[in-house]
Amino acid sequence: MLPVASLLILVPLIFAAVTFFTKTKEQAAGMGLLGSLVTLGITLYAYMNFDSSTAAMQFFESMEWIPSLGISYTVGIDGISMPLILLNAIVIPLLVVYSWSEDREAPNRFYGLILAMQAAVIGVFVSLDFFMFYIFWELTLIPLFFMVNIWGGEKRAHASYKFFIYTHVASLVMLLGIFGIFYASWQQTGVPTFDIRELISQYQFFESGMLKDAIFLALLFGFLAKIPSFPFHSWLPEAYSEAPTAGSVLFVLLKIGGYGLFRIILPMLPNAGSPDLFIVLMGLLGSVSILYGALLALRQKDLKRMIAYSSVSHMGYVTLGAAGLVALSVSGAMFQQFSHGLIMAILFMSAGAIHSSAGTRIINDLGGLAQKMPKLTVIMMLAFMASLGLPGLTGFIAEFLVLTFTFANLPGFVVIALLAIVITAGYHLWAMQRAMFGVYNEKLGDVKDINSLQVFSMAVIALLVLYFGLNPSPVLDMMITNSEAIVSLAAGAGV
Amino acid sequence: MVDLMLLAPEIAIAVTGLFVLVTGIFMSPQAKNMLGYLATFGVLAALGLTVASFGTEAVMFSGTVSIDALSQFFKLVFLVVALLVSVAAIKYNEDSEHIEEFYALVLFATFGMMFVASANDLIVLFCAFELASLATYALAGYEKQNPRSLEAAMKYFVIGSVSAALMLFGLSFVYGATGTTSIPLIAANSGLLVDNPIGLVAVVLLIAGFGFKMALVPFHMWAPDTYQGSPSVVSALLAAGSKKMGFVAAFRVFIVALAALQPDWQLAFTILAVVTMTFGNVVAVSQTSVKRMLAYSSLAQAGYIAMAFVVMTPMALAGGILYALAHAFMKAGAFIAAGAVVWMVTSEKRGNLEVPDHLDNFKGLGTRMPIAAFAMMVFVFALAGIPPTAGFMAKFVLFSSTIQAGMIWLAVIAILNSALSLFYYARLVKYMYFLPPEGEKVGTPFPYALALLLAVAGVLVIGIWPEPFVQWAMEAASVLV
Repeated sequence: MLPVASLLILVPLIFAAVTFFTKTKEQAAGMGLLGSLVTLGITLYAYMNFDSSTAAMQFFESMEWIPSLGISYTVGIDGISMPLILLNAIVIPLLVVYSWSEDREAPNRFYGLILAMQAAVIGVFVSLDFFMFYIFWELTLIPLFFMVNIWGGEKRAHASYKFFIYTHVASLVMLLGIFGIFYASWQQTGVPTFDIRELISQYQFFESGMLKDAIFLALLFGFLAKIPSFPFHSWLPEAYSEAPTAGSVLFVLLKIGGYGLFRIILPMLPNAGSPDLFIVLMGLLGSVSILYGALLALRQKDLKRMIAYSSVSHMGYVTLGAAGLVALSVSGAMFQQFSHGLIMAILFMSAGAIHSSAGTRIINDLGGLAQKMPKLTVIMMLAFMASLGLPGLTGFIAEFLVLTFTFANLPGFVVIALLAIVITAGYHLWAMQRAMFGVYNEKLGDVKDINSLQVFSMAVIALLVLYFGLNPSPVLDMMITNSEAIVSLAAGAGV
Repeated sequence: MVDLMLLAPEIAIAVTGLFVLVTGIFMSPQAKNMLGYLATFGVLAALGLTVASFGTEAVMFSGTVSIDALSQFFKLVFLVVALLVSVAAIKYNEDSEHIEEFYALVLFATFGMMFVASANDLIVLFCAFELASLATYALAGYEKQNPRSLEAAMKYFVIGSVSAALMLFGLSFVYGATGTTSIPLIAANSGLLVDNPIGLVAVVLLIAGFGFKMALVPFHMWAPDTYQGSPSVVSALLAAGSKKMGFVAAFRVFIVALAALQPDWQLAFTILAVVTMTFGNVVAVSQTSVKRMLAYSSLAQAGYIAMAFVVMTPMALAGGILYALAHAFMKAGAFIAAGAVVWMVTSEKRGNLEVPDHLDNFKGLGTRMPIAAFAMMVFVFALAGIPPTAGFMAKFVLFSSTIQAGMIWLAVIAILNSALSLFYYARLVKYMYFLPPEGEKVGTPFPYALALLLAVAGVLVIGIWPEPFVQWAMEAASVLV
């Protein structure tokens, strides 16, 4: 058996280092493609050998690293992380293909950062030691910061610093929570350890309810700001819309906030000092994000900003479904992460293509693009439909599961979220109608359709959206297995 | 019978220093360049001897010198700095006529610092402290033709002398009240100082005296001018080495000798630590001279290390001690990298010559001096506490200990400071890598490159495989509590 989890970190990291030293654009992009394809191969190998019927850790590796502080190198993959690794492994090579024909400065750094980002994100997904988890969590900031800061739009300096400082401070709060759980457990057992699962199981024995709540809230804040959930979302629209297309796609692949909810928050939740309050809090923030994000998306003039705000809205389903604490609502939330990553990748690629060929992203300055860009319009339409939740596509499955099964526990919040569905459909269709259909806006001049490489990469993702929309079980099964394990923990604790 | 072999590292340094000084007189200016290599080998030998003697414990010379885990650890810190400085100075001193003096002073300063680390008696401590200080005063003014260097030396000397007087005065109060200069005996008799105004006066004077060396706000006024004005290799010695000497002396005097007065000095250090780190980081943001920025960042780092006095758990002390080692690598490295840029600017005579370490001179350094730029990037990321570097590991241990002690407010302040510091460190990286270069590729001269790569190796090894260093730091901390 291959040490898959380690390879998934190492391979992109090594290729990233090699890519930094390439001289020409072809070499850089080629090395980027090769690295991401090898990663995809390893991921597919892992997926083939993955057993969806167990919630246990698979491809588990562990060895001591800094024993005097209880830090170990522990990695593994389970049904929570596998779909997200798959998502990254599939989209990144397509992203490299998509940006193949673009000319930019310093391509070696560009593709190197993409691979470094992939290594860091997968590192978060496979880490089972809080120390490693935190390191990879922080490492994801660096490629994104440079991505926005170097190749971003006009306000890139502001956007990159805001994003960096905002999410860095949030992670530092999370770090305080990690320190708290580490020392409390050390005091409890007399043995230092940073093992995530061990610390979570020690968490229930902490005596002070206040300490438990403080740790819980610190971790929750770190994750919510990364998702991002209302009211910690203000870094997102600028970062997403100022980033270059590849950067925006990397942002949507950064599903570590939601992952933290499933890996850490939900197993801790039943043993927190006041679990009922936290469930309400998460449900409230989730449903408000859905509604508020949709309302903000409705009034955006810039297509990319609209997509960014729709992302806030969609990620609200993750928080809401997690708060639902029913196996299927939690699976729905996990599936939303997967589905959202695919759909948003197409949407940002479309927005990028429109910007580069039409020269603007202001929706009202576009118009009738379907006549000049038919290929783009077909794919974009499919992604918009998936994004607004059309049955048969992935978005529907996720939102259906979240709304239906969360209703049992949190009916009020589901009603708030339902209000947003109409608005969601509204801003999607309205934007599509203004930008793509109607009379062609002659001021735009001669607009070219997307090239065949872009068609290829976007179409592959679109087909996956369709495929998993019709047949979600290849990823949904393992999510359900793990959600059941999480929920049975909660049920055992009487929540 | 005293086993002098226990002092082999110190003897190696002293002998090398004297040898360099004497032979330099008889050498032609061209041949003097080999003195740098000679000094480097001396330091390397001392470093090897120190590492080989890890784990030995002894008290020598009627209990005035103590060889223990703490002294060994700090000797390692000082020797590492001396090594980096000696290597880098081979290039710096290329055209100098005073090479033997430079190296002799560096080695004597190191000798003094090493004795401070193992001092077990206030007199030994003070003498060693002054030996190191006097040598560094002269080093700060090494560039006799450069008014900035002279200003640096003058300021450093005047404030340093006053501080030394305060320190000696404080020590005399301790002696007066307890009747002994031996640190263990003071600790045993320190009950005499409790609830005694003499104890309080002594603590105040000693904090002022040591605070000068540690560059804690408000005793820091000399530091930015001196670090900026001194030759870069000397700044490296001051910020990375001499500052640690202040810390190890304060560890011995406050935590061991004056343990009974802990409530008094702990309160003072709490305020000093918080003010120092915040002031250092805030002021560093607006600096355009890189060495001045590093000086303020050095204040901030001293503030972090001073947290060890506030938290006072074994973990916190281990964190502070580990931080001292990490800081030695990253700060010495950063100053040497700045020195390489100063060399480039002055030898090429283009760019901002008025302030050779100006940020503008770092534009496009990634293409002009790839090694120096890469090393500088590693150092500033380490100073900002980004994994996988030594700075991250040290901060991880130190900051986490505050949570252990329940001082969440201190952790929050430290962590916010650390986040703020990223701002000016990232700006330097941006200048080096993302702004277009002004000038051709120069390349990093070999001695600078070697020193930088050694420091990078140290920063990364401690960051990636910290286990032995954490162990040593914990053993060193166990000497104190």
